[in-house]
Amino acid sequence: MKLELQKGSRSKILSGLVIIAMAVFVIRLFYLQILQHNYYVDLAKGEQEKRLIVPAKRGLIYGLDGSTPIPLVMNQNVYTVFADPKVVTDKSKIIDTVQKVAGGNARSDLSGLLDKKDTRYQILATKLTRTQADMIKAANLSGVGFQEESQRVYPEGSLAAQVLGFVSSDGVGKYGVEGELDDDLSGKDGLLVSVTDVNDVPLTIGRDNIDIPAQNGKNIVLSIDRNIQSHIQQALADGLSRTGATRGSVVVMNPQNGQVMAMANLPSYDPSKYNQVEDIAVFNNGVVSTPYEPGSDVKTFTMATGIDKGVVSASDTYNNTDYITVDDRTITNATLGHTGNITFQYALNWSLNTGFVTVAERLGDGKSINLQARNTMYDYFYNRFKLGQLTGVELSNEAEGTVIPPSDSQGNAVRYSNMAFGQGLDVTMVQVASAFCSIANGGNYYKPTVIAGTIDSSGKFVATKTAVASQPISSTTAQQVREMAHVARSTFFSSVDKAGYYTGGKTGTSQVIKNGTYASDETIATYLGFGGTVNESKYVIMVQISGDHKELQGARDALPIFTDISNWMLDYLKVQPKG
Amino acid sequence: MSYQRITTYNSRRQQNWSRNQNTVAYVSAIKLGPITHTVLVAFMVTILGLIYLTQATKATSYDYEAQKIDSQIAELNLQKSDLEIENARLTALETAKTNSAVATMTTPASTQYVNQ
Repeated sequence: MKLELQKGSRSKILSGLVIIAMAVFVIRLFYLQILQHNYYVDLAKGEQEKRLIVPAKRGLIYGLDGSTPIPLVMNQNVYTVFADPKVVTDKSKIIDTVQKVAGGNARSDLSGLLDKKDTRYQILATKLTRTQADMIKAANLSGVGFQEESQRVYPEGSLAAQVLGFVSSDGVGKYGVEGELDDDLSGKDGLLVSVTDVNDVPLTIGRDNIDIPAQNGKNIVLSIDRNIQSHIQQALADGLSRTGATRGSVVVMNPQNGQVMAMANLPSYDPSKYNQVEDIAVFNNGVVSTPYEPGSDVKTFTMATGIDKGVVSASDTYNNTDYITVDDRTITNATLGHTGNITFQYALNWSLNTGFVTVAERLGDGKSINLQARNTMYDYFYNRFKLGQLTGVELSNEAEGTVIPPSDSQGNAVRYSNMAFGQGLDVTMVQVASAFCSIANGGNYYKPTVIAGTIDSSGKFVATKTAVASQPISSTTAQQVREMAHVARSTFFSSVDKAGYYTGGKTGTSQVIKNGTYASDETIATYLGFGGTVNESKYVIMVQISGDHKELQGARDALPIFTDISNWMLDYLKVQPKG
Repeated sequence: MSYQRITTYNSRRQQNWSRNQNTVAYVSAIKLGPITHTVLVAFMVTILGLIYLTQATKATSYDYEAQKIDSQIAELNLQKSDLEIENARLTALETAKTNSAVATMTTPASTQYVNQ
């Protein structure tokens, strides 16, 4: 009996121990599988799954060759060759191969770099093409590796550099279209989360695989015509060389839709070597980023305002005494001696300031530039011609400029008398050229644009629709001012224009404010004009040149550049002459 | 109060001559014991496991095929891209300007237009 009790006791103890052991297992398993479930799942995923960012391809930028898109900015995969000096075995073979294949892209002191045995990473050559990288790979060099990266390449070299901008080493668009349309060009990176094998090959066996494809950036077609662009760059360079000016800008626009056909600035730079530029001012696109006092070009807008309001016409007269007094200031003509009763056409031909101050006065009570006159001028200049406000052209760092309203204490009669002939306001060339397009095209203002369309996924060019135009002035006003600009040009310069065409324009010589006052030894020369046939203007060209301590004149220095471009444009666009 | 069963009913299943019922039952001579049953179940599980492994391996081999094709596509795209760049460079204005044929071109002395 005692023995049975003892036997029963041991088996009970054993079964108890087994139950306890099982309970421990169950509790432990419960802890691991239930309570710690997420932790271990994450741990397993971390081992088995890889998160791969699928980089989006940056969109290409095209220009036009006539009406055919041609690439201006493309992407190319390039390779950096590096070595691990600790692993390198055959130093001389590496040096020979890299120097032979990479040429100028190889670092100068390869031997010294490979001798740095305390380092694990030394760059031997950069920006190698795939073919070059393949040649080095074929040599089977121990301790040599490759790093692939994408870079922008520019088949047309420095053509339209400030329009294009560049992409910095961290992949961000800077300046020009690259900067302004960075989001569109960048696209959106994709994501691949997948179980992979030891070689990182994604496998489909995972339940939580994620495959979000990358959205490549848009391929944008600019309205920049490479032939026009090339010609204006050459014409501008010739003009600077001829006049001694050191800075220059030209913009050519299609007045029928507001598209920029070409835009150039000098000095310029090579966007593929942007990091070698010493003066970052060359990155700026002066046409959109540098406001200036436009000078006499604005007289066409003052005249348009007067004609549109019905207070003057080209044949109306006023008494020119070579000076006019506004409040306590006396305004004089730059060219003296054309006194007496003269027409406003004559005043435009000789660019007489008094004529346009008179127009401003006639917008009011005819005797002074009162509030009504100032409000009218502001309405036309700012609201209608959109001077002194951002145009929205797709280029980065566009400057607004300044047109002071009559409500401001600075917007008095003296300022508005100055504004009538182009002083006392700051505007950009693209603002002036866009406003002038509305005179050249019959009264329609189109927002300036450098975008002609996009290239879709099938490689087809899809043109952008022309934006709806506003009408700052009536078509009859535009026709009258256009004719006045034509007469102003043909009065003095008809001999330089190709016969049978209808061109017109206005010179401008602007004073430069330095340290708060007008500099006595420096002026900016501009010319603003159009060309085409009597029925239709085919282009508007604006030229501006300047230089430190250079007194330049619109007629003498800027006009010949316009003429060079204009005569070439007539041939290029195959405009048929009259007669 | 109590009830007494006074009639006995036989179900059709119990009637040998009822419809749709075999009248002869065959009994297998092979008797499977519990160990055999266990082995058979284990064998079936193994077969099912092998089928699963075959399918999974097959899917993985497709992944490698897909990866190989993807690599080929990427390689061809790179070659295409390089060729496009080369083409763009060869047809660039700068290249055309330095072309010997272009250098010999002259500006026409006069141009005539045909009315369309």
